[in-house]
Amino acid sequence: MSKRILCKFFLHGACLKGEYCEFSHDWQDQPNNICTFYQKGVCSYGNRCRYDHVKVSRQQTSRPSSLNTASHVTSDFHQVTLPPVVSLTREYNPEPSTSVDVSAMSLAHTLPCKPAWTKAFEVDTSLNDESGPCPTYVSPADQPICSFAASGKCPRGDRCPHIHGDLCSICGKHCLHPFRPDEREEHIKMCHKNNKHLEALKCSQEIECSVCLEHVLSKPTAAERKFGLLSECDHPFCISCIRNWRSNSPASGMDVNSALRACPICRKLSYFVIPSVIWYSTKEEKQEIVDSYKIKLKSIDCKYFDFGNGTCPFGTSCFYKHAYRDGRLEEVVLRHLDAEDGSTIIAKDIRFVSGFEGG
Amino acid sequence: MLDVSRVQKELAECNRDTAISGVSIALHDGGSDLSRLSGTISGPVATPYEGGTFQIDIRLPSGYPFEPPKMQFVTKVWHPNISSQNGAICLDILKDQWSPALTLKTALLSLQALLSAPEPDDPQDAVVAQQYLRDHQTFMATARYWTEAFARRSSVGIEEKVQKLVEMGFPEDLVRSTLESVNGDENQALEMLCSS
Repeated sequence: MSKRILCKFFLHGACLKGEYCEFSHDWQDQPNNICTFYQKGVCSYGNRCRYDHVKVSRQQTSRPSSLNTASHVTSDFHQVTLPPVVSLTREYNPEPSTSVDVSAMSLAHTLPCKPAWTKAFEVDTSLNDESGPCPTYVSPADQPICSFAASGKCPRGDRCPHIHGDLCSICGKHCLHPFRPDEREEHIKMCHKNNKHLEALKCSQEIECSVCLEHVLSKPTAAERKFGLLSECDHPFCISCIRNWRSNSPASGMDVNSALRACPICRKLSYFVIPSVIWYSTKEEKQEIVDSYKIKLKSIDCKYFDFGNGTCPFGTSCFYKHAYRDGRLEEVVLRHLDAEDGSTIIAKDIRFVSGFEGG
Repeated sequence: MLDVSRVQKELAECNRDTAISGVSIALHDGGSDLSRLSGTISGPVATPYEGGTFQIDIRLPSGYPFEPPKMQFVTKVWHPNISSQNGAICLDILKDQWSPALTLKTALLSLQALLSAPEPDDPQDAVVAQQYLRDHQTFMATARYWTEAFARRSSVGIEEKVQKLVEMGFPEDLVRSTLESVNGDENQALEMLCSS
């Protein structure tokens, strides 16, 4: 059942269980965003809580806290029961004052149901008494690794009943599961990627903008701490400086095509600027930044196209999404004109005005 | 809004290696307005401007560095691309070819390069350009004469100048600040000291 609920740890890219996780690792599934504290009537965050404050019907609340926390600790997914039809009734905070004013800790003691963290702790200690997980029915690959060791240091050291993961040479944590090769590989891959990003960020700190002569990543406001990559050359500028220069009005005497759109250093023409928090060191890295930027823009509706109501001056070469209200994408229609020498040329958006001028 | 921090950085950077580059920038008249500066370039060797020191008035528009600085020769100079009347300069990088990656120092260095490589086909002063093309010898002589007459700075070191003026009875710190404000011109400094 819980396989349909998106794993919260996976959501943050930090699930240590991989394919052995009892929660879904499929992005299509929805995460369970129900506040377990609210289910018990006490959430100290009140209406500021980031989780959903909804009442779940009685039978589901039988083990509400085991949904997220306990099940992850015990990996005993039989405990987790959730009816196929979840009837949720949203409540718009009926008693916000009590839930805010009374501290969660003190009230939890008066309630019959113990808070989730106490339960998790109990499970932990019981395992400790058993001197390790029962080897009869649990294969090593099915056991989770010690999360203390995985996040840095396990206070129990060698006496810990859980398996301690192998050391990841990149992040320096004992988080590689000894019996799950796929997961190991995945982690190492992720770690490599993160590490590369950090390295790139470190190198980027030193890069200076040639216009304001400041370190780009040390600019006073966060919005300015970004590079503006030019598509055709590799000279670094901060995004605000390069945009400022390119948006300079031609009335100032500068030529748009030979000066404003050119790189201030090498004067090579670039037709667009890509914002990026890191500075690249290889061509591939740059391409990656450019591609992901384009993909991001392609998911945003173009304000000029306006779902077909307006006209976009960039036409089919616009970076933004040209889709109608019903989700249909704008068709790319290329008008072919037969040139005199027999070859075919593709006409760009033919305008009313140009027709008159040409005619 | 003038980018004050950039201008300050530029000034520090430019004046770090004045002896090698031959260009320097100071605040205009020793004032505190960063948008009014005065630059100095030394005449390039093996040209009729050799030995001269040329003063350039620099005004920074509020859009600097996205707009070019306004530069004009204060020292009279005989050159096809510089007006012999008002010192206006004809140089593309100060107009439509400006780039925000250029600095006041690089602009001054470009002026220095312009002195050694005139462009008579794109003149600012038609009379000088005509002379440059038709009677090169006279041009060279006139340019050299103008350098001697208007751009010559005495070869005496600054310390000697200070000593000379102090001996005339002016207080030393006043002498130093005055000399600095007129870029070491001894006669101008004397004039200022006498009139104050």
